[in-house]
Amino acid sequence: MSNFSVRPPGVLEMKKPSIPLGLVFSQSGPYGMMGGELLKSALMAIDEINVCAAFDFTFVPYLRDPGGVVAAYHTACDELIRDERVDHIIGCYTSASRKQVIPIVERTERLLWYPARYEGFESSDNVIYVGAAPNHNVVPLVRHMLDHVSSDVFCVGSNYVWTWETNRVIREIVTSAGGRMLAERLLELGETSVDHIVREIIDRKPPVVFNTLVGESSYAFVRALHEATTRAGLAIPMLSCSLCEPELKLIGAPASVGCITSSAYFESIERPENRAFVARWKARHGIDSNPSVDGQSTYVCVMLLARAIRRAGSTDVAAVRRAAANHRYDSPQGQVWVDPDNNHCFLTPRLARSVHGCQFDIFWEAEAPERPDPYLSNLDLAAIGLSPEKSNDAMSKRPNHLRIVK
Amino acid sequence: MTRTSPFSVRGRRALMVMRDERDISMVRRQLNRLGMTIIEHDPAEAPPSGENFDVIVMDVDSIPLKSGTTAAWKASAPVIALIGTETPSRLRWLLDLQPASFLVKPLRSAGLYTALVVAFDSAQRRIDEAAYVERLENRIRSRRLVFAAVLQIMRGHALSESDAFALIRQAAMRHRTTVEQLSADIVAVGGMPNRTTRSAS
Repeated sequence: MSNFSVRPPGVLEMKKPSIPLGLVFSQSGPYGMMGGELLKSALMAIDEINVCAAFDFTFVPYLRDPGGVVAAYHTACDELIRDERVDHIIGCYTSASRKQVIPIVERTERLLWYPARYEGFESSDNVIYVGAAPNHNVVPLVRHMLDHVSSDVFCVGSNYVWTWETNRVIREIVTSAGGRMLAERLLELGETSVDHIVREIIDRKPPVVFNTLVGESSYAFVRALHEATTRAGLAIPMLSCSLCEPELKLIGAPASVGCITSSAYFESIERPENRAFVARWKARHGIDSNPSVDGQSTYVCVMLLARAIRRAGSTDVAAVRRAAANHRYDSPQGQVWVDPDNNHCFLTPRLARSVHGCQFDIFWEAEAPERPDPYLSNLDLAAIGLSPEKSNDAMSKRPNHLRIVK
Repeated sequence: MTRTSPFSVRGRRALMVMRDERDISMVRRQLNRLGMTIIEHDPAEAPPSGENFDVIVMDVDSIPLKSGTTAAWKASAPVIALIGTETPSRLRWLLDLQPASFLVKPLRSAGLYTALVVAFDSAQRRIDEAAYVERLENRIRSRRLVFAAVLQIMRGHALSESDAFALIRQAAMRHRTTVEQLSADIVAVGGMPNRTTRSAS
């Protein structure tokens, strides 16, 4: 299944050749809700490709559900490659699952299209990283915090690699700017007993809380903190680089309102490509359903892959990788393309504030898509760690970084 | 003191602190081939106490990044770190553990022997260096004693400082002892001790 003939577009009466496509999403287990969102997005993109005259092939999805069990990811991909003969796999959500899959795609020379944002410090030739790298996600939010909120921060997060690494970046940037990390409180994944941390925050009244909790822990914390600060008459801003629209719904108003969030995608992006994407999403999944950053990113994975296969005229991994490099796609979130230096994507960082109606009000976006920097090797702490007057200077030298859109 | 060559691994005891079944079976197979004794330990539990190991093969990703966990693992046998996540936060934790060598996951059958040899060698070097440092520290500690002995000889023999020290050094050589030890004797008896020389001169 490596080659197929390229015919002129529009010849729909002939049966198009089909390409098997592996999908690995956990629809049960601790992050089953997110897995379901990613799957919905992948299937929507596959259906769009399959009816689109501009593509001379169809995708046949083969789905595996590892149920959130890390070791099951290896088996799932092994089956997809051996039994279903897929060259390309879209999926994985956590870093632990991605690291299970990498040995097998490297050994068999297959390609994993990974949709989620993650903590960086990895770059496999057999993975295309379509989610945000830390320079797209954490760095703009910490920079915003230093410039507009406070340089003393109270950190709360889930006890795993995402929080550890995010907190490390926050600490480095904040301390080089003369600020302080006031606390670093960790909760086990899935833990919802948050009262001791909320109590500490009410007692110490930090100028800002940085939340890297995930799933139920985060929802419980956001609700409890909102209730406690309201009762105490305090206004403590909260920052997050992972909240998305479906999660705002799970938290519920009014606690879900007012969170400052960093992401490459929000449903509220005012681009014709996104308005059309949201309309198609709602037509397919219901008017009350909302796309999310990771879902949209999964959709982008399928679209980037389809375009690369069309350009390569083959599903061969080396040819597809070459065809995907630097090829620009007008996605819902804006132009996206793969940087062949590290297989991560150019994405546009954005900052927003959550509002009523489970939406985000975008108040800043980068002027152009930013080069991915998975190892943060271009992070210039000296340029960030300046006093406010100097940092205005630094900003004028960095026009790409801060552009107020509202 | 006889020392074991770092290349001889047969019979040495390895503690495996790992979680992933595929990695475990790979390491177990290799260690068995090398004739090592294997003890397996659940990473979720506290380090075993009271048992002796020659090396610890540790999947560092399997241990939560919490303060205090490194201290518990330190100080026992040399650690071979199995690394999956290369984030600086994890590597910081790893540095505190002072690994003797490391392997990057996914593991292959090649590499483990090299990691073991490097670990055994660097553990031996650490022991040697610690002993050397201790000798130097002892010498620094006995400086006051030497100074007191020099003063004693200067007064007792009406010598200059450099002549007094030369006398002590020559006597120490003749007695086949260290300047520090002889100084302690001088201070103890209040003058040059009356020893029978064992030298051939």
